[in-house]
Amino acid sequence: MDAIVNGFNQIVGWMPALLQSTWVTLLLSVLSVLAGLIFSVFLALGKISKNKVISGISSAYIFFFRGTPLLMQLFFIYYTLPQLVPALNISDRFTAAWLAFTLNVAAYLAEIIRAAIQSIDKGQMEASRALGLTYRQAMRLVIIPQSIKRMVPPICNEFVMVLKDTSLVSIIALTDLTYQTKIIASNKSSALVYVPAMIIYLIMTGVFTYFFNKLEKKLSVYE
Amino acid sequence: MSVIKTENICKNFGSLQVLKNVSLTVEQGEVVVIIGPSGAGKSTYLRSLNRLEKLQNGKIYVNDELMEDRINGKNHSPITKKRREELLLDMGMVFQRFNLFPHKTALENVMLAPMHVKGMKEAEAKAKATELLERVGLGDKLDSYPAKLSGGQQQRVAIARALAMDPKVMLFDEPTSALDPELVGDVLKVMKDLAASGMTMIIVTHEIGFAREVADKIVFMYDGAILEEGTAEQVFNNPKNERTKQFLDSVL
Ligand SMILES: Nc1ncnc2c1ncn2[C@@H]1O[C@H](COP(=O)(O)OP(=O)(O)O)[C@@H](O)[C@H]1O
Ligand SMILES: [Mg+2]
Repeated sequence: MDAIVNGFNQIVGWMPALLQSTWVTLLLSVLSVLAGLIFSVFLALGKISKNKVISGISSAYIFFFRGTPLLMQLFFIYYTLPQLVPALNISDRFTAAWLAFTLNVAAYLAEIIRAAIQSIDKGQMEASRALGLTYRQAMRLVIIPQSIKRMVPPICNEFVMVLKDTSLVSIIALTDLTYQTKIIASNKSSALVYVPAMIIYLIMTGVFTYFFNKLEKKLSVYE
Repeated sequence: MSVIKTENICKNFGSLQVLKNVSLTVEQGEVVVIIGPSGAGKSTYLRSLNRLEKLQNGKIYVNDELMEDRINGKNHSPITKKRREELLLDMGMVFQRFNLFPHKTALENVMLAPMHVKGMKEAEAKAKATELLERVGLGDKLDSYPAKLSGGQQQRVAIARALAMDPKVMLFDEPTSALDPELVGDVLKVMKDLAASGMTMIIVTHEIGFAREVADKIVFMYDGAILEEGTAEQVFNNPKNERTKQFLDSVL
């Protein structure tokens, strides 16, 4: 009994530090997905573009960032890039992590968006063109609005993945939830701290999943 | 004056020759019905007219202006891109599968192109769309989404949507083939009214009774070529070509 009370008190004592680092994890995830989302729209449209150069560059980008480990990309941006191009020395760990995650998640989101756009029946583009809309107008007014509904579930899914993947940043000593947990574990030599840390991750993914499910239900009104 | 004239148009899909020197003239106010077995190239012909398919060879005149003059896929037509866009707007198209925009109401479907292509003000576009939807018998469905409409109603919205751009010619690709039999009549009625109002129309259909009633000219296509053309009386009652006879026997 004493051991349990003791452990509980320990956990309460760690909470301020854990919650502070949770904020870093959350901020990094949200900012990466937001920035990645904007970037990914261009990548997706680029990949399906009829212009061979644009589609080639977009495809190569997506291939690269999906085909190499995220951890390597993080190292590359934090360690290698400053060596190659001194002007690109990102000393702030958060910014480096944000950049790495944005570039990476954009590639995944681009594939989601491309797949959603290409899942729209070809007849929609044909009807638009037959009515005199330009390709851009057809995309903006007809194709993309319809595809959004189909991209929301996988994008939400991707967000939850990113939220968990951000634990990788502990490797460049950015004080996210995982890194903070490791510090506590080694300083206080108590591995118990992994329990509340995992529960915090679980609460975050649980809350987001709950709201994303509600959003999906709302979007499936007509069809 | 001809609204549409094609001269020797040819289209391949890879090594498959789908249109082989198809020449056809459609006069102002004329209703032309194209019949023929599946795979004859009827859809491809219609789609070539408004550039949903790119031709290999041949000429397309719209209102006597040379819009397409293709030799080995390259267009030698003298008109500017802008002029070509304008000529293309003279053609309205109705598809077998309707292709309505599912995220927009009936009214919004009809308003979209006038507003974004012609820059029409919203109020004007709305008034025009309302009038057109009333004309096709859907005055009470203005705010319905396509998913809430029957196939026949969807196809009538699609006709209104095409008419909203004030085309000079309407292209119909099997407009009733995807409909339940009891819904075909409403759509054909709208098309008959349109024909009676003087609209130039090119219609691909298997509805022989309807063709007999509205067509000024029947065209029989087979294997990428026009084998026979004439009035309904000539083609249906006295087909000259053996293939035409066989086809008519199979559908009548
Ligand atoms: N996009 C395409 N790619 C390859 N072949 C096609 C394509 N569209 C049509 N075809 C072929 O062209 C021929 C004519 O098709 P189509 O014009 O649809 O005939 P119809 O409308 O008279 O039934 C068919 O053999 C069809 O398989
Ligand atoms: Mg067809």
